[in-house]
Amino acid sequence: MDLARSSALHERARAFVASFERGEPLPDFDELACDLARFQAERIEGFARLCRARAVDVARLRRAEDIPPVPTDVFKLTRVATFEPEHDAVVFRTSGTTIGARGMHAMRDPSTYEAAAVAFGRRWLARDLTQRAAVVVLGPSPEVAPDSSLGHMCAAFVRAFGEEAPADETWLVDGDTLDVVALDMRISRALRESRPMLVLATSFALVHLLDAIGEATFELPRGSRVMQTGGFKGKSREVPADELRAELARVFGIDERAIVAEYGMTELSSQFYEQTLFSDVEHGVYAEPPWARVIPVHPETLEPVPDGEIGIAKIVDLMNVDSAVAILTQDQVRRVPNGFELLGRAPGAPPRGCSIAIDELLGRDAPA
Amino acid sequence: MDDVRAVVRAARAVVDRRTSLVPAIVESTGLSPANVELALTRHLELDPTDEELRRLVERAGDAPEVAVILSANVFVGALRAIALARAAAPLVLVRPSRRDPVFARALVEAAADPAIRLAEDLDVASVTRGEIHVYGRDETIADVRARASEGVRVRGHGAGMGVAWISRSASLEEAARGLAEDVVVFDQRGCLSPRVAFVEGDLARADAFADALHTELERFDLAVPRGDVPAEERAAGDRYVATMTYACRALVGTGHAIGVAPPGAPMVLAPPYRHVHVAACETREAAAALLEPMRRSVIAVGSDDEEAARALAPPWARVSALGRMQRPPLDGPVDLREG
Repeated sequence: MDLARSSALHERARAFVASFERGEPLPDFDELACDLARFQAERIEGFARLCRARAVDVARLRRAEDIPPVPTDVFKLTRVATFEPEHDAVVFRTSGTTIGARGMHAMRDPSTYEAAAVAFGRRWLARDLTQRAAVVVLGPSPEVAPDSSLGHMCAAFVRAFGEEAPADETWLVDGDTLDVVALDMRISRALRESRPMLVLATSFALVHLLDAIGEATFELPRGSRVMQTGGFKGKSREVPADELRAELARVFGIDERAIVAEYGMTELSSQFYEQTLFSDVEHGVYAEPPWARVIPVHPETLEPVPDGEIGIAKIVDLMNVDSAVAILTQDQVRRVPNGFELLGRAPGAPPRGCSIAIDELLGRDAPA
Repeated sequence: MDDVRAVVRAARAVVDRRTSLVPAIVESTGLSPANVELALTRHLELDPTDEELRRLVERAGDAPEVAVILSANVFVGALRAIALARAAAPLVLVRPSRRDPVFARALVEAAADPAIRLAEDLDVASVTRGEIHVYGRDETIADVRARASEGVRVRGHGAGMGVAWISRSASLEEAARGLAEDVVVFDQRGCLSPRVAFVEGDLARADAFADALHTELERFDLAVPRGDVPAEERAAGDRYVATMTYACRALVGTGHAIGVAPPGAPMVLAPPYRHVHVAACETREAAAALLEPMRRSVIAVGSDDEEAARALAPPWARVSALGRMQRPPLDGPVDLREG
């Protein structure tokens, strides 16, 4: 199999990131997006079919917004890759649902993913750090969960922003257990060294931490910050975002603005961040990297909706070199000044009958 | 049993004078006039046998009073719900669905049975004895359970789905003809409505079945057009079609769509409003494994081979021939999950 075109496109994607990091003029977004779409249509019959069904001639594509988006459900049903499985370097899987299907995103060259993740993570989580931080992850290590894209990203952050530390002092979830003692020891050492901490965690892990420590506090060193991501997925009690943030700020002794939400998904190679650590933008408004565009679209026509109106997120991600350069999520978003707001999953239709709704099926107990 | 027979007679009377009712049912349900006609004339259980009624009475149990809460159900479901309640109790209070009250009201009025009363503003908390039979979504049932008074038994009849098994020996054209009718009535919004068809054999056979089903559904699209589809469901349908187009194959008709799953793919559920997910399975065991994560929601299995269907179906599921999935005998609730 000829991988040269894929490699050349990865080079162009990484060059995009490098230009951003160096503050140089950026390559043309639409040009690379359309080249990726052409490459993917050539290599993936399913995407070519989707383009034909949407009456899109990829040879004539000029604008990223015209690329037919691949629904995220596709990742559950079939392989979305321009290459054969023997070239898989990593395979990320979405978290399971009660109907069992897990999405799969295979990558041949994860260095592109890592370069993008670190560059934009640095921009919104770590750009002011003058020394390496004490990075802890309230989640399992990539050794324990090798198919977690979040774990992979956190590992890249540990390498890029963190001081040297043993794995058991960095990855603080083992099985279902959060190692509060190890967290306490790591905080104590960071305090002694006056080293800021970067806490990377899922929302449900943070709720577990709060539940585990009760009224206790874990004051973090000056300059520390928390990255919080994901929903609760039935793994903990649900806590409204502002309440969780306020409680974490109290427990960690940090400003609420130092608690930064990240939005990402297994089907993407780019992430989006709240900007509160380094700007006046309020919580709930996410920034996108220049190599990704979040376009709210009408759920039926898939046409972009006017700024300020709610649509379904179509995301064009130039780092998805070998999979799907444009995806269609089920999340509602709205463009606002300085970024976009994330408004949760699109609601289902009001019930008109007793045929089970997909959301209802998802909400039922999983089989034993 | 005579009381139940009287309810059935009332339903017949409603059907006989349906001309004046159909427009209102069309308005409230969003179904096309032809679909309302189809539902009233072919999918309302107007000729139960004594044996079926005896089973219904047996399953109904005994209660001093039953409050029936109809919500988000297919409109003809009111007959079975009221018949069950009347079999169980000497006093039945009926709260029709607010959005879709026409048939239930007409049935209660036609019954002219002092023991069956409309209670449009019934408050769950005001029921202090007997049973509440609630039809609808899981969350509706949970809400009623939470608000019910102590000592009042709540029997929930939740949402569900149907599944079809097309055996290796089936005539694909005949099977498609039967399944198409099961899909079309109520625009696939019933809890017995088939949403998935497993085709015994390879992908080529599943493809051939999908083609046959496409032809039959297209025929129905003309004879019994699909009614109003809410915007969210239209979007879900478009998304399903795009997903299946990429994953393997989608066939899109005037008022329906069929997705053919790639070999070995996990299950996805097609949205209602005439969308059918077709999956090839080399064995019944393979189909059962695919179905396992959503098994609890399966309340009907239709097949050309009822013995095979019985082996595939959960123990509570109703098993029938294709084309009869939406016509279960009047012998108890359609949803037998509560035992």
